Amino acid sequence: MIIYKEVCVGCGRCQPYCPAGAIAFEDMKSVVEQDACYECGNCLRVAICPVDAIHDSPQVYQYPRALRKYFSDPCATHAVTGIEGRGTEESKTNDVTERCGPGEFGVAIEVGRPTLGMGLADIQRITRALARSGITEIEPQNPIHSMIADPATGDLKVEMLNERVLSAIIELQVTPERLPDVLRTIKAVANEVDSVFTLDVFTTLEPGLTIPRKLLDIVEAEGFTWRPNAKINMGLGRASD
Amino acid sequence: MTHSLHREGTIDSLERDYALFIYPARGFNYKGCAPKVRRLVEIVYQAGPVNMIATTLRHNLYSGVRPEEVLDSIKEGSRVFSVFNNREGIKEALKGFKAADEGISIVVSGLIDRVREIALEIGLDPHTINISLGVHGGTDRLPPPDIRQFTTMCGHGMVSPLLVRDVIRRINSGKISSWDGSLVLAKPCACGIYNPHRSAELLEELTPLYTVARR
Repeated sequence: MIIYKEVCVGCGRCQPYCPAGAIAFEDMKSVVEQDACYECGNCLRVAICPVDAIHDSPQVYQYPRALRKYFSDPCATHAVTGIEGRGTEESKTNDVTERCGPGEFGVAIEVGRPTLGMGLADIQRITRALARSGITEIEPQNPIHSMIADPATGDLKVEMLNERVLSAIIELQVTPERLPDVLRTIKAVANEVDSVFTLDVFTTLEPGLTIPRKLLDIVEAEGFTWRPNAKINMGLGRASD
Repeated sequence: MTHSLHREGTIDSLERDYALFIYPARGFNYKGCAPKVRRLVEIVYQAGPVNMIATTLRHNLYSGVRPEEVLDSIKEGSRVFSVFNNREGIKEALKGFKAADEGISIVVSGLIDRVREIALEIGLDPHTINISLGVHGGTDRLPPPDIRQFTTMCGHGMVSPLLVRDVIRRINSGKISSWDGSLVLAKPCACGIYNPHRSAELLEELTPLYTVARR
């Protein structure tokens, strides 16, 4: 994002809206710190500027900086990866797609959230750790999949590593036998990540919204606890195409 | 959207917070789904949501979109997200969805026990669950949990902790009310699941406890 200095009246109204905290005063005008900016467009979308000084930066769609927008602006689609959004439909349409079938587990690691944002080098820290543990089942429909230069090492394409985004999601589909390894690897790499990440697992339910005991046993055995609120697919969808 | 399952707060507060997603599946039921989604949105309106967005508009009910514009904007593949501030409302919507039987995926984010009760009461058998195993990494750098109760109400992270602090400061200095402050926080949410009623309650509770200076 860019704020045109000659137009800005220095009211500062835009500053608290920036999730990156990238807008500050300079010479009595608001200025976007370009390294910190995620290009999420929030400052523009809320239309808070009284003089229309906020605009998309002319470089916003230049690769690799365009990755910032695609991973941070909820209104943007992935022109670079060809895939819409930060992640996939994952559990939301699983009653129709059956991508995660009975007895299988999905894992999602959203790096940068809540709040902190992250450099794409943090994604590489995790994909490398997963690769070292022999875990390479990254969801092919997820944008991260196409960003990996070498699946054997988990290395991302080198030109991406300096980009900073609000968040990105690493998604995996694993068998119950593999889940303990995945959780152990994620726990170990947490100390190397220069941000935060949320971790979630998804699976098909048993009748009566009963969470499979096998999943809970694995989660507990690996020292994790789960929150009392969850995202639940109500089973009302069906394929019709 | 993934973050609707990472909403933070007390159980008492989360009892009044249920996010609802109407989600056609790309490649599986996109064809001809627009009238089905529109019918489901009409059912949502009848149940009394407290916020809503359609992916075609990307502005929620507190950022300049009228309810009828949401309906008019729906086309093939549109997804619609909303939020309810009470158990009865989400139950009414689900009852309507079951009766309508449009075959579109419906997702509810909320307390597992409450959703289980509702599903049993209306005879639904949920299919898949996505469970949060928490936040990891440099958690000491996060804003405090009080602030995160607000920021995690936007599923895309568009509500900045700086804005929450700014709103608390403005309420404390008598410039705006808790409800108006809540609407300021709802405006940036580009996924339509920021719950302004819950947010106003939280602001009422928290603002007397905080002194927030302009940075």
